[in-house]
Amino acid sequence: MNSPADHAVMLEVRDGDVTKLGLLFERYQAALFNFFLRLTGNRQTSEDLVQDVFFRMLKYRHTYQDGSDFTTWMYQIARNVRFDCFRKRKREVMLNEEENERVSPGPGPGEKLEREQELVLLRGALARLPEEKREVLVLSRFQNLKYDQIAKILCCDVGTVKVRVYRAVRELGEIFFRLSGERVS
Amino acid sequence: MNCEQMHERLPDYLVDDLDESERTQAHLHLSACPRCRETADRFLEIWRKLEMLSAEEPGVALRARFDAMLEAYTQGLGEARTDALRQRFDRWIGGFWPRRPAYQVGLCSLFLLLGLAIGHIVKSRPSANGELAELRQEVHNMYQLVTLSLLQQQSASERIRGLSWSQRVSQPDPQVLSALLQVLDYDPNANVRLAAVDALQQFSDQSMVRQGLVQALTRQSSPLVQIALIDLLVQIQEKRSVDTFKRMIADENLNDAVKQRAERALKQLS
Repeated sequence: MNSPADHAVMLEVRDGDVTKLGLLFERYQAALFNFFLRLTGNRQTSEDLVQDVFFRMLKYRHTYQDGSDFTTWMYQIARNVRFDCFRKRKREVMLNEEENERVSPGPGPGEKLEREQELVLLRGALARLPEEKREVLVLSRFQNLKYDQIAKILCCDVGTVKVRVYRAVRELGEIFFRLSGERVS
Repeated sequence: MNCEQMHERLPDYLVDDLDESERTQAHLHLSACPRCRETADRFLEIWRKLEMLSAEEPGVALRARFDAMLEAYTQGLGEARTDALRQRFDRWIGGFWPRRPAYQVGLCSLFLLLGLAIGHIVKSRPSANGELAELRQEVHNMYQLVTLSLLQQQSASERIRGLSWSQRVSQPDPQVLSALLQVLDYDPNANVRLAAVDALQQFSDQSMVRQGLVQALTRQSSPLVQIALIDLLVQIQEKRSVDTFKRMIADENLNDAVKQRAERALKQLS
C-alpha cells in the first residue's frame, strides 16, 4: 500500500509544493474513508474525517521527516482526527447498533438471505466490540497493514498488537456466534 | 509447539505470516490438539467472514471539497508569505530606528537636510525639462519661418497654406503678425485676404492686430472681406472701429449688404 513514490510526493508537499497532495488524496481517500466508515458507521462523518485528515497533512506537513513512513504518518493523523471528533460529538460517532439490529431476517431459506443475515450480525458484532479492539481489527484486517506498521501507528510494540488482534478476534467471534445463537433460538 | 505457543502464533496464522517451520509445527499441533484446532477454526472463520464487509466508495463531492480546501489553503499560504516578508522588512527598518527620542529627532533632521540638499542639486542641474523647452522653442521658430516663407509665395493656395501654418504658432513674433496684416491689406486675392481675417482672429487679443484690423477695413474693396472684418471687429468689441463704420455708412458707393452690416455693427458696439 505504501510506496517510495508516496514518500517522495509527501516530501515535495512538505517542501512547499502543496498541490501535490492531490495525488495522495487520489490514492488514499477511499482507504481512509473505509477506515472511518468501519469505525463510525456513518458515511457523512467519515467523509468529514477524511477531509480533516488531509487538512491536517497540510497544516502539519513540516512534521513529516525524511525517514518517515507515509502510511504510518497518515494513519496516526487519522487516529488523532477521529479521537478529536469523538470527543466533540460522542453520540454521533457511536455506531448505530439499534439500526443494525432493526434489520430482521425475513422468512424463507436461501443462500443470499443467509448471507445478508450474517452481514447484519457481523456488523452488529463489530459495533459491540470495544473501541480499542475494533480499531486494531480494522487496521489489520481491512487496511492491509502489517503488524509492525500498526505498532508504529498505535505507538506500541508488535507483541502488544498481536495480543490485541488475538483478543479482538476472539471477542468478535464470541459476540457473533452469540448473536447467531440468539437468532436461531 | 504447545497450546500456549499456538495461541501466541494465532494472529500470524490468521494473516499467514508464519515461516515454513512455524507453519509446519502449527499444523502438527492443530492436528494433535482438538481444542486448539477448534479455536483456530473459529478464528479463521470469523476472520474470513469479515471479508463480507466490502469496501464502499466515498461520495464524488469529497474530491470537490478537497480541491476547494487545497485552493483556499494555497491562497492563504501566499498571503501569509507576503505578510511575513512585510514583517521582515518592517523589522529590518525598525532595526535602524533609534530608541531615544533625541536621536529620533536628530535622524529626522538629518533626513530633512538631506532632502533639501538633494532638491537643491536637482534644481540647479540643467534638467530634461529645460531641453524640452528648447526643443519647443525651435519647433515654434520653425513654424514661424514656414509661415513667413509661404506667405511670400506666388501661388494663392500656398499663401493660404501659410496662413493656416500661422495657426500653429501660439505666440507669434511681431514680424509674423505684420506679415499677416500685410496679407490682409495688400494681397491681390480676396480669398487669401478672407483667410487672413480668420488667421488674425486667433491673435485678436494683441493691440497691434486690433489696430491693424480697423485700418484694414478702410482699405478693403471686397464686400466679403469687409463683412468678415466687420463681424470680427464686433466679436472682439473693438470700439475704435465705430468711426470707420460711420464713414462707411456715409459712403454712397458702398455695397448695400456691407452698409447694412455696418449699421447693425454700429448698433451692437454703441
